[in-house]
Amino acid sequence: MKRQLQDYKSVIEPVWCPGCGDYGVLTSLQRALLNLEIAPENIVTVSGIGCSGRLSHFLNSYSLHGTHGRAVPTALGAKAAHPELTVFAVGGDGDGLGIGGGHISHAARKNVDITYLLIDNQIYGLTKGQTSPTSPVGVKTKTSPHGVFEDTLAAIPIFLAYDVSFVARANGVDTKSLTQILMEAISHKGMSIVYILSPCRTFPLLDSKGLKAILQPLPEDHPRGDKLIAMERAYSDKPIFTGIFYQVEKPTLEDRLQSVIKKVCEKSNGGDKYSLDKVLKSFA
Amino acid sequence: MDNNKYHSEVDFAIRIGGEGGEGVISAGELFAQVAARTAYHVFTYITYPAEIKGGFSMIQIRIKDGKIYSMGSSVDYLIAFNQQAYDRTISDLKVGGTLIYDPDEVEIKDNHKATCYPIKLTKLVVDATGSKLGKNVVALGALGHLFGIEFEVLEKLIKDRYGSKGSDVIKNNLNALKAGYFTGKESQWERKFQLVADADAKEHYMLISGNEAVALGAIAAGCRFVAGYPITPATPIFETLTDLMPKVGGRAIQLEDEIASLSACIGASFTGEKAITPTSGPGLQLMGEQLNLASMLELPLVIVDVQRGGPSTGLPTKTEQSDLKFAIYGTSGEAPRVILAPSSVEDCFYQTIRAFNISERLQMPVLILTDQSIGYRKATVRIPDFSKMIEVDGSKLTDEILIPSPERIEIARRIEIDPEKLNGYKRFLDTPDGVSPITTPGLPGGQYLSGGLEHDETGKASYLPDMHLKMMRKRFKKLETLSNALEKNPPEYEGSEEAKIGVIGWGSTEGAIREARLLAEQRGILFRHLHPKVLSPLPERQVRHFLAGLKQVIMVEENFTGQFAHFIKAKFGVKPIEIHKSEGVPITPEEIFNGIEKVARIVDETTIARL
Repeated sequence: MKRQLQDYKSVIEPVWCPGCGDYGVLTSLQRALLNLEIAPENIVTVSGIGCSGRLSHFLNSYSLHGTHGRAVPTALGAKAAHPELTVFAVGGDGDGLGIGGGHISHAARKNVDITYLLIDNQIYGLTKGQTSPTSPVGVKTKTSPHGVFEDTLAAIPIFLAYDVSFVARANGVDTKSLTQILMEAISHKGMSIVYILSPCRTFPLLDSKGLKAILQPLPEDHPRGDKLIAMERAYSDKPIFTGIFYQVEKPTLEDRLQSVIKKVCEKSNGGDKYSLDKVLKSFA
Repeated sequence: MDNNKYHSEVDFAIRIGGEGGEGVISAGELFAQVAARTAYHVFTYITYPAEIKGGFSMIQIRIKDGKIYSMGSSVDYLIAFNQQAYDRTISDLKVGGTLIYDPDEVEIKDNHKATCYPIKLTKLVVDATGSKLGKNVVALGALGHLFGIEFEVLEKLIKDRYGSKGSDVIKNNLNALKAGYFTGKESQWERKFQLVADADAKEHYMLISGNEAVALGAIAAGCRFVAGYPITPATPIFETLTDLMPKVGGRAIQLEDEIASLSACIGASFTGEKAITPTSGPGLQLMGEQLNLASMLELPLVIVDVQRGGPSTGLPTKTEQSDLKFAIYGTSGEAPRVILAPSSVEDCFYQTIRAFNISERLQMPVLILTDQSIGYRKATVRIPDFSKMIEVDGSKLTDEILIPSPERIEIARRIEIDPEKLNGYKRFLDTPDGVSPITTPGLPGGQYLSGGLEHDETGKASYLPDMHLKMMRKRFKKLETLSNALEKNPPEYEGSEEAKIGVIGWGSTEGAIREARLLAEQRGILFRHLHPKVLSPLPERQVRHFLAGLKQVIMVEENFTGQFAHFIKAKFGVKPIEIHKSEGVPITPEEIFNGIEKVARIVDETTIARL
């Protein structure tokens, strides 16, 4: 029986504000999974704290709504233990660029085959409007009542510098393109980050019209394997490019773990795994 | 070999002391390895500085014709590499003991009525190799001769140990070994005891540290996932597991910090794997939020805290039992978890298996509290017979599952829901024992939401007052379930029913308290000794039974404030006399005995008359 979009919806109705960009992200993800024919029981979704963290509630999967900033290492553990599963990490700009920012580089070093949806609304929306690492300079927020005085974090260049093996930026409102990008990200062997601009209607720093005016798809001939060109285009703010900036193939965490197992067992045990008895006798 | 005999024909201790970086510990460990291949039991105790080089470093090796419970209170042989080693440890040398020292380094102020054997360690190694490196191997040679170990045995040991470092290193070490061995021979040191290799002993015993025992216990329990971050003194657990995991087809991953390590364990456990992360106090503190999450998600996993001196960076390489309160209570809100405290190197192996069993069956995090002294201590441990290992299924939380032993090792797993009964599946269903059905990813129709937000039985977030209370009750009910099961276990105390004094300890102090009981009994003082392995939840009826009829309770702990005593006082309303040692080194049987003797003078009139 062919699955329907409905099969990717959980029994819990979304509770985001009307017009929230996260609706578009959820729908796009559900469509991408449907198109790729990935069974809901083989999906693990780990989300962090914030509006975006609620996404795991609404997706029909094995869903883990964890703590602030730790979605990536938690998803990493799930994928490392069971590589046959499709594993997502989901979080916002606070989650992934603030409190949990330190984890991304290390997940990238391992090239764990997960897809990380980093949904940026430039504000801490769930807690009603405090400054986030991507809030624009000068705007007034609840914790920057006299205007944000820190520089804005540029996410894409960071991911490129970390050598994340798939880096994309998408407009959360443009569900058609986002679905396409997510399908490629999920199919990518290795760590993929899809950095999604998702307007917050309640504390509007990004709006869909404004986004449309400044966003522009990467040129069709954009070379995905060229990091320097990717970096140059990642820094462009007029226009802000969307699409897949960078994609390379390299061994995944699972490939690396398997090669260690193979090497160790071949070297010292004729290719077989050690029995428990043999492990203990090696300490005799 | 009589495992439980107290009075021994053979029972002596050797201590080697020197400067960190001089190889004192590796020489001692090599010697212990030889000793372990005889018919005798071996027990080592190590103290080392936090620096790579410099600072006082020592190893003590106790050898006995029966099971060894502590490092003992004094030493029979002292090998002093330098003045500091002599100054700091000469008072521990028994009257009539043997002192081996480098006369170019050590000035003897009081020979402590010892037999003194000078040996110019530095000069000998320089003469033999042209370098100052290798004093330790000279000492090993001299000790080897003193105990009648064949040169070939030592030679093989050196080759095995340094084999990977190239022929020059082996050559220099063998020259140093010869220099020490033959100096001992020429000097005609009096041989008091001979260590003869015993092939049978080699077959059934391993010489392992407490840290290695934890790692092996995890492997035996079926754990195939470790995520960790190095931290002294827990690092050897992680190192051992990173070596062993690929050999058994498991996965070992070093993460960027302790938060990520426990996060990865949560992720792995969510997919059905048995997961472990080893750490020490500061790392456990970082794990707090994820520990909370694991408790809330009701996921099995095991955290090992090899405690070190605190607070803050504290004494990274020294021992202390000071994370207990943090382990039991330390998280925001109230999140149930189970605390185990192994009491010996061998117990580290079995309690780790037990930790996995409890964790899997109760679907909650279990913390194992060891400490530096037990983690770095090496002891001879019998290799268990794995034909007696049983994989347990069924839904009963039996007593047997809870205490694995060399005679019977049972391996338990979480009880997954029957796929036929998924209709109406509620992941957090409230049940009589608090344990809910669980599914793992891959099972069609078993998808659920699990979250750190308070939730209803299905996992959906809920902030209703009744729901919070209901789910708090449900989660804590699992501790009651365990406590009730523990009540059916054999009591964890020993000693006379007549005794008026009771001593309570936990973790690594068990051996020292046991030997203090022997000292006390020799002097006619009786006490009974409770040493729970599960510290929280306690089997309360058993503890009350232990307390019944006692005039005085004494609590022995290696911390400053008496953390377990606070717990016992609050739970049972007793007023214990507390013996604390907060010096970074383990408490000795003699120190415990001295405290008990003082109490006995007050408590027990009949004892007073006799004393």
